[in-house]
Amino acid sequence: MMLSQAKAGQKAIIQEITGNDKLKKFLFSLGCSEGQEIALISILAGNYIINVKDSRYAIDRKMAEIIRIN
Amino acid sequence: MKIALAGNPNSGKTTLFNAITGKTEYVGNWPGVTVEKKEAFLKNSYQTFNTSVRIVDLPGAYSIAPYTGEEAITRDFVTGENPDVIINIIDANSLERSLFFTTQLLELGIPVVIALNKQDILKRHGDAIDSNKLASLLNCSVVETVANKEKGIKRLIEVAIETASSKSIQAPPDLDFNVERNEDNARQKFTSVIVKECHVSNRDTNEISLSDRLDRIVAHKWLGLPIFFLVMWAVYAFSIEGVGGFLSEYMNEYIFGEIVPDAANAFFEGIGVSPLLQSLIVDGAIGGVGAVVGFLPLIMVLFFCLGLLEDSGYMSRVAVVMDRFFKKIGLSGKSIIPMIVGSGCAIPGVMATRTIEDINERRMTTILTPFVPCGAKIPIIALFSAVFFPNASWVGPSMYLLAIIMITLGGLLLKKIFVWENTSIFLIELPEYKIPSLKHATTQMFKHAKGFIIKATTIILVMNTLVWFMQAYGWNLRPVAMQDASILASFGGLISPLLIPLGFVGWQLAAAILTGFVAKENVVATFAVLLAVASEDALHLPGGVLAGIFNPVTGYAFLAFNLFTPPCFAAIGAMNSELGSKKWLFRAIGFQLGVGYVVAMVISQIGSIIVYGETAIGFGSSIFVLISIILLVTRLIHKSDNKVKQILAEASEGGI
Repeated sequence: MMLSQAKAGQKAIIQEITGNDKLKKFLFSLGCSEGQEIALISILAGNYIINVKDSRYAIDRKMAEIIRIN
Repeated sequence: MKIALAGNPNSGKTTLFNAITGKTEYVGNWPGVTVEKKEAFLKNSYQTFNTSVRIVDLPGAYSIAPYTGEEAITRDFVTGENPDVIINIIDANSLERSLFFTTQLLELGIPVVIALNKQDILKRHGDAIDSNKLASLLNCSVVETVANKEKGIKRLIEVAIETASSKSIQAPPDLDFNVERNEDNARQKFTSVIVKECHVSNRDTNEISLSDRLDRIVAHKWLGLPIFFLVMWAVYAFSIEGVGGFLSEYMNEYIFGEIVPDAANAFFEGIGVSPLLQSLIVDGAIGGVGAVVGFLPLIMVLFFCLGLLEDSGYMSRVAVVMDRFFKKIGLSGKSIIPMIVGSGCAIPGVMATRTIEDINERRMTTILTPFVPCGAKIPIIALFSAVFFPNASWVGPSMYLLAIIMITLGGLLLKKIFVWENTSIFLIELPEYKIPSLKHATTQMFKHAKGFIIKATTIILVMNTLVWFMQAYGWNLRPVAMQDASILASFGGLISPLLIPLGFVGWQLAAAILTGFVAKENVVATFAVLLAVASEDALHLPGGVLAGIFNPVTGYAFLAFNLFTPPCFAAIGAMNSELGSKKWLFRAIGFQLGVGYVVAMVISQIGSIIVYGETAIGFGSSIFVLISIILLVTRLIHKSDNKVKQILAEASEGGI
C-alpha cells in the first residue's frame, strides 16, 4: 500500500518510490528509498510526519502517495 | 587560503560561520535559511597560522546533484572554485543521512574535515559516535563541535588549516561497485555500514518524542492556525503596543521631541547661525531622522522576539500548518518561509524564494512576499497607531492579519489571471524544538538595530534634507512663505488627484508616499518635516498634527496603502533579479499597486460609511475607479480562460 493509506504510528519498509527520477533522487539523498525503514509518526494538517534515518520530515499527501510500503 | 563550509540544511553551517568570522549572518532553526554563498575572513582569535584565511558559507544541500536552485550554488562552488579544504558540517543526530553528501564530497579530491556538530543534543539523547573510528573509515579528520556554544571550534579550524597546508589529495571513499552497480546504492550501503560501526544509540527514533507531542498541538488541523495567529499577535502587540511602544514613546516625546531639538536650537541661537540653516538642521535633519530613530526600541524588541521564535524550531511547523491553505491558492508551505523572512526585511524574503522549485510558485511568492509588513514599515504602523488609536492594542497585529488575508486573496486572484498547474510537492525537515537562545536573540536584535541606525543616518538623512529643501524653497530657488508654493508641493500635487478616490486629500500625503518608495521609514520622516511648520508638538502625540490630514479611518487606509503598494526600490531590485524578466517585474509592480490602491479605497470609503455614517471625500470617483478595475480584472481572467481552453482544445486535437 501507499504511505498515504498508512496509520499514524505504523512502521514499514519502503518497497518502491514511484515518482519521477528527479524526485526519486531527492528522496534518496534523504535516505528515503527502497529497502529503508520508514515510520509514520502522525498526520497533521494534511501533512504526513515521517521518520527516516533519525530525521523528521513533513511531506504532503502528493508525496505520501508515491511511497509504496509493505 | 580558502575554506568552504558545506553540509545538509540546518546542520549549523551559518552558526559556525558567524562564530569563526564574527559576522552576524541570518541564522534560523529551519532548513534553507542561507540561500547564497557568504564570504568573510577568519576572526583573529581563531587565527593560528600566518596566512589569511577566507571562509565561504554555502547553502545547505542533501546531495551534490541539485534539486533546488540553492543546492546548485553549492555544487557549482565546490566543484568550480577549488577551495583548499572543505569543512563538512554534520548534524551528529542525523549521521547516516549526512554521510550520503559526505561520500560525494570525499570524491572531489579536495581535502575534507568533518565537524561532527550538535554534540550536546547527541549526548542528551544518550547516544555516542566514535569519531576516531569514523575518521579512519572515511580517511579524513573528524572534530566534535557544538557550534552555537563555540565548543571544539578552535581545534576544528587548526585541523582544517593543517589539512589544507599539507596539500594532500583526499582519498575517495571505499565504495563497493561490485555488488551494487548503482552508484547511489553503493553509497547507501557504505554509509549504513559506517553507522553500524561508529554509532551507539539506545533509543528508537520512531518513538513519539516530546517534540512530536508538541507538533500534534501546534500543527493540529484546527488549532494550528489560531495558535499561529495568537503567537504573532503576542509578538507584535508586545513590541508595537507593549514594551517596545512604551520605550519608543519616551524616546519620541522627550529625547527627540524636547531634549535634542531644544538643545540644538539653543546652541544655534547661541552661535547665531541663520534661521534657515537652523531650521534645516533642527526641523529637517534632527526632526526627520529623530522621528524614525525614536522607533529604535520598538524595532529592537520586535527582533528580539522574532529571534527567540526563529530559534525555537516553531517556524517549520508554521510551514506545515500553512501548506494546506497555500495549496488552495496554488502555493505550498514552502512559500511561508520567504514570508517569515520578509517580516524582517523584504529583500532577503524575496531572495529566499529560491528554495521553491516550481517556477510559478516561486514567482507568485515573490509577488506576495512584500505584502508582509517588514521592519521598515513598523515605524509607520506605530506612528499611526499612537496618533489615531491610542490605548488600542489591535492596530499592529491587525496589519498582519490584513496581510495574511491579502496574501490569500492576492494568491487566488493571481491564480485566476495567470492560470498555472500546481505541480510542486512539499517536504520540510522538522528540527527538534529547543529552548531559544538569548544570545541568538540578542545578536539578531543588535544586528537589526545597527542596520536601522545606519539607514536612518544615511539614506533617510539625505532624503530628509532633500525633503526639507523642497518644502522650504520654490522653483525660483527662493524660500517660500507658504509650503503650498514649494517644489515638493508641486511634485505632490501631480499625484494627489490620483489619491482622491482613496479619501486622501493633500499633496503632503502624495509626497510622503513618494519618499516611501526610497525607504519606507521616510514616510514617517517626511511627515515630521512637513508638519514641523504646523506644530511644535511631537508628531506621534495622540490626536496630534497628523489628525489635521487624516481621520482614524483614512489613517488606517493610509497604513494599508503603504503596506500593499510596491515595496522600497531596493526590494523592487531584489524582485527584479528573482523574477528574472522585465515582463514579470511589471506585472508584479502593477499587481501590488492595484492591490494597495483598492484595499485603501475600500477601507476608506466603506469604513467611513460604517464608522461615520457618511461617505468620505472622493466617493463618486472611487465607484468609477472600482468599476474600471473590476472590468479590467474580469477581462484579464476571461482572456486567460480562453487561452486555457485553446490549449486544451489543441491538446485534444493533437491527441486524436
